Amino acid sequence: MRGAQAGSASDLEALFRHHWPRAYRAAYLVVHDGAAAEDIAQEAFVAAVRSLHTFDRRRPFGPWLHRIVVNRAIDWTRARSLRREVGGEQLDAASAPPARGPEDLGAETMTALWSLSPDHRAVVVLRYLLDYSPGEIAELLELPRGTVNSRLRRALDTLQERIARQRS
Amino acid sequence: MSEDVVRHALGELPVPDEAGAAERAWDVVAAAFASRERVQWTRRHRGLVIAFAAATLVAAAVLVALLTPPGQAVVDRVRDAVGREPSEPALVRLPAPGRLLVVSEDGPWVVLEDGSKRLLGDYDDASWSPTGLYVVASEGRHLVALEPENGDVRWSLARDEPVRDPRWSGGGLDTRIAYRAGSTLHVVAGDGSPDAAVAQDVAPVAPAWKADTHVLAYAERNGRVHVVDVDARRQLERTRRLSGIRKLAFSPEGMLVVLTQRQARLYRGGTARGIGIRVDRAHSLLDAIVLRAGEVVYADYDPKADNTTIVLAHDFGRTTSVLLPPLEIFKGPREVESFSVSPNGQWLAAGWPEANQFLFFRLPHGRVAAVSNVTREFSPGTTDGAFPRIGGWAPGP
Repeated sequence: MRGAQAGSASDLEALFRHHWPRAYRAAYLVVHDGAAAEDIAQEAFVAAVRSLHTFDRRRPFGPWLHRIVVNRAIDWTRARSLRREVGGEQLDAASAPPARGPEDLGAETMTALWSLSPDHRAVVVLRYLLDYSPGEIAELLELPRGTVNSRLRRALDTLQERIARQRS
Repeated sequence: MSEDVVRHALGELPVPDEAGAAERAWDVVAAAFASRERVQWTRRHRGLVIAFAAATLVAAAVLVALLTPPGQAVVDRVRDAVGREPSEPALVRLPAPGRLLVVSEDGPWVVLEDGSKRLLGDYDDASWSPTGLYVVASEGRHLVALEPENGDVRWSLARDEPVRDPRWSGGGLDTRIAYRAGSTLHVVAGDGSPDAAVAQDVAPVAPAWKADTHVLAYAERNGRVHVVDVDARRQLERTRRLSGIRKLAFSPEGMLVVLTQRQARLYRGGTARGIGIRVDRAHSLLDAIVLRAGEVVYADYDPKADNTTIVLAHDFGRTTSVLLPPLEIFKGPREVESFSVSPNGQWLAAGWPEANQFLFFRLPHGRVAAVSNVTREFSPGTTDGAFPRIGGWAPGP
């Protein structure tokens, strides 16, 4: 971060290469649309570049970036559902092969994940992909900690229920 | 449900074209960084820059005084100041897929992506149907639905009073058109019947539909904005009185947006006051358009400096702020007008009468493509026609 702030393109690239995979993955897991996830993560980095000169180096870069990515991903998903764009999500879910055994647990989990609301997906992604504590998630999403905990609990319950239903 | 299973699944799921996405993103981020670096260099060397700029301006002023009329010199200097690429002499292509509706003195034109244009007829105002299948236009006391390919009239209806501001909404075959006839707001089905008066004593402001619905916003002369379900004939929302309402719109999330002389206010359902953007007390908010969630582009006119700044602001109407600084994407003399966003959401079109240009901004980074000689292009054969208005950007046929 220090090098990027001083104008080093190679340091900025190192910062980008370090943070991009998880930022893009997080966006994708919330929006379930590759192009939108790419746009969201890309715009978050561009926003970061624009704000480099004001960024407080004492604070970690990751949470700042993830806050933008996840909030934008939530907004994008809400906007899409409000516009009633029926697209890849339903088709993908419908065409996904049925899970047959423990090796398909990942696919089952993902299918179940995309049945959650964007708000619930976001807390799951922040907790289990990006490894934030419930307190940190509460801060990132500006939610009460109790809300985060209840969303996590409800999300896990729903995932379990959906997976059981898929198997039956 | 084991947390470890979820953790493993989230980390292992293949995501689409991960490497390609990273490379494309890095190109954009590096370009943004390079442009930032140029700005930073000027900040670090401000004294040198000022001295150089002063010398350049003096030289330029002398040269300009010798070579060009004074008004043109102002325009040219500001164009250089904003770092815009040279303008195209004609609208030979659109920067994004879709069709642009341009309303000129001669009537509405449909501009295709390849730059070809068709004049639909002698009408005063026009707008697209929701998917661009038709154009609705007004002329005197008539409302007409037109084929955008050739201007053929599908249907028309006449009113006792002048018809203004037709706006079309809805999905599939179940569509509605709202328009003003005098001070009465009417709504008619997309096939031309039946027609009903919805409200009296409305302000001279175009009504706005919530996308894909039959929910309509309109302004009364007393300054209140009403949101109604026209099918159920039921009021859903009403704002307090506002002065100087210029434009009504809905955000992509379906929230009401009201533009007044100095503010863009976004209303969440059930909220009486709204939240939004306010320009300086001495300035005017010329236009604003809400993009994807949390982003708004607005034109801030400073009468003292006689110039307009177009700003991309983040976090508009959000409850969770991510604290991104607003981005100035353009600054030019006099006023800009009639914002419209491309169907893919990546380009913003605006009219710049002072320079006789249409401007196309790549979002969100603000790269500008400009097209000159717009008045002559849409009022051929005249040299002093009125500057045309951008009436909307619809998907391709």
